[in-house]
Amino acid sequence: MSLFDTIWNWCVDLLSNEIWFYLITTVVKLVLMFAVILAFVGLSVWIERRVAGWIQDRPGPNRAGIPLQLFRQFGSKEKQPLKEWLHFFGIPETCWIAKLCTWLRLDREIPTFGLMQPCLDGGKLFLKQELTPSYVRKIYFTIAPMLVLGPPMVAAAVIPFASGVTTKFGDINMVVANIGIGPLWIFAISGLSVYGLTLAGWSSNSKYPFLGGLRATAQLISYEVAMGLSIIPLLMMFSTLNMQDIVQYQADNGWTLLPLWGEGLSWQRWAMLLPLGISFIIFVTCVFAEANRTPFDMAECETDLVGGYHSEYSSMKFASFFMGEYAAMVIGSALVVTLFLGGWSIGFGADAALHSICSWLAVFCQFIMFLIKLVAFVVFFVWVRWTLPRFRWDQVMKLGWLVFLELAVANIFLTAAVLYFIK
Amino acid sequence: MDFAISSILFYAFAAMALICACCVIFASNPVTSAMSMALCFAATAAVLFGMGAQFLGIVQIIVYAGAILVLFLFVVMMLDIKTEEEDNSFSVWHSLLRMAPGVLVAGVFGAMVFLAAIKLPGATEWNNPLCRAWNAMSELCVGKQEPTAQAQACDFGGALPALNPAAAAKMLNPEISQQDAAAATSIPDTKLLGQRLFSQYNIAFVILSFALLAGTVGAVALSRKISKD
Repeated sequence: MSLFDTIWNWCVDLLSNEIWFYLITTVVKLVLMFAVILAFVGLSVWIERRVAGWIQDRPGPNRAGIPLQLFRQFGSKEKQPLKEWLHFFGIPETCWIAKLCTWLRLDREIPTFGLMQPCLDGGKLFLKQELTPSYVRKIYFTIAPMLVLGPPMVAAAVIPFASGVTTKFGDINMVVANIGIGPLWIFAISGLSVYGLTLAGWSSNSKYPFLGGLRATAQLISYEVAMGLSIIPLLMMFSTLNMQDIVQYQADNGWTLLPLWGEGLSWQRWAMLLPLGISFIIFVTCVFAEANRTPFDMAECETDLVGGYHSEYSSMKFASFFMGEYAAMVIGSALVVTLFLGGWSIGFGADAALHSICSWLAVFCQFIMFLIKLVAFVVFFVWVRWTLPRFRWDQVMKLGWLVFLELAVANIFLTAAVLYFIK
Repeated sequence: MDFAISSILFYAFAAMALICACCVIFASNPVTSAMSMALCFAATAAVLFGMGAQFLGIVQIIVYAGAILVLFLFVVMMLDIKTEEEDNSFSVWHSLLRMAPGVLVAGVFGAMVFLAAIKLPGATEWNNPLCRAWNAMSELCVGKQEPTAQAQACDFGGALPALNPAAAAKMLNPEISQQDAAAATSIPDTKLLGQRLFSQYNIAFVILSFALLAGTVGAVALSRKISKD
């Protein structure tokens, strides 16, 4: 028996044990989810800057690539690699191909469309000098950025990124923790990041950060109420709190906001669109407020507050706050996509069709679909940021307590009425 | 004696909750007290999670750690209470007098818990403590327990961790089919809790809701600006 066979048999033995199978698959899913979230944090910074540039009619960061200069240092003797390549294929230098390549800056660098920018920004922030002012409360000052960055990462555990597959060792459900309280878990855990903002403001021991922290606390608590109430109509329709079941239902019977196949074609589902639409609007607005994004970025409103709760922070601690904000944005987008826009489902019955061909293919396509929807919603987030001006502080509070709370409560009764009469 | 992971986690989180609860009292900085309380709530939620009462655990985090305690913190920071000063005028009678209300309240609560515990089925089987707890839990019906798992759990540490309940059910009873194992664990405790709350305890629930509503109306009435004219 060869070494390969031995290793293979050992792996089969290991996977045949249900506990080990469960542990290994969970760890793989965990790593995948973490990688997706962290990659999206970097990517959304890039999307933010490119879309901002596009909206404001300027290029944005499109230059940072991998310079060919780098390769010359590692031993490549050619001064102009592009010219060499053109000579090699016998293409004249005035030809349109050569011009196109020059326009794409292929003669100077390997093009990445500016995707190197987030990496370089990250590197810069890592290498910056870290300055902790002498008057801060050290312990809380240090743990505050962690409390902002941590919760969104943990909250991602319940978001399903594909349907399940059945292997010969057991079933794999493509969600890290398939628990029966999905959306509540996300509300609870991402609600904890308010501690980070509050403690950052307080521990800085300085006037404006403190005001920023207080604003963040008030705003997050206010909008959490409306956010929780706004998804109750949805749960009344699905009558489950399990995220995987919710997405499965949408894959079979039409997305919440796009009921075009399965049971979704019935007029009862179309009658439900009114309350669901209202809850979508409330929910998305509350997600904006919860992620501390413009037009709700009261806590870091630089016209009132210098820099907000992170005025005293520098280097990587400062970067943690920003990463936390973007991670919250990604999780918020993922939650909206999962609850309202079908999560991983491709739609129009394609999920079941793909599953009948090959489950792994279906899972792969669904994962890609989930990422596409996520990117689309992140772009929407950015679009709103660069379109709407910031609210005034009292307007934010009024909107939360006097409009959204009442609307969400009324919407619950409306949904109950619709469900009662259309049955 | 081999321990189940769920038992180890239970004792770890219970210890954490107790230590944090002590920190709330003994910390000199009010913000530290508040943060210890948050940790205490989180540990309590973890204990509830371990028992399969996921909904209760998450409500603990949402309501207490996520909302009420943040408001505590808010007030503590706004008032900016300075670190508590040492009381130099030490007198035995004084400190006894200060301790008395605390001891009284703790005693009443302890007696209530003890009286409730002793009424539970199996509470008098002193030789097997965990069995009692499992019987009590199944009687309360917060999470449904399969009889096999319950029987096995009575041998302390014999049960498999509640990591993957389906696998646990399968290992406890090899004859059980995959579907049965999955079905045994897929009853959401939210549903069980809702049924119990809205049928058996419906009147209490409604009365409590009215009390909260009255409180809310009172708060609005108090905070309303009184017009000058």
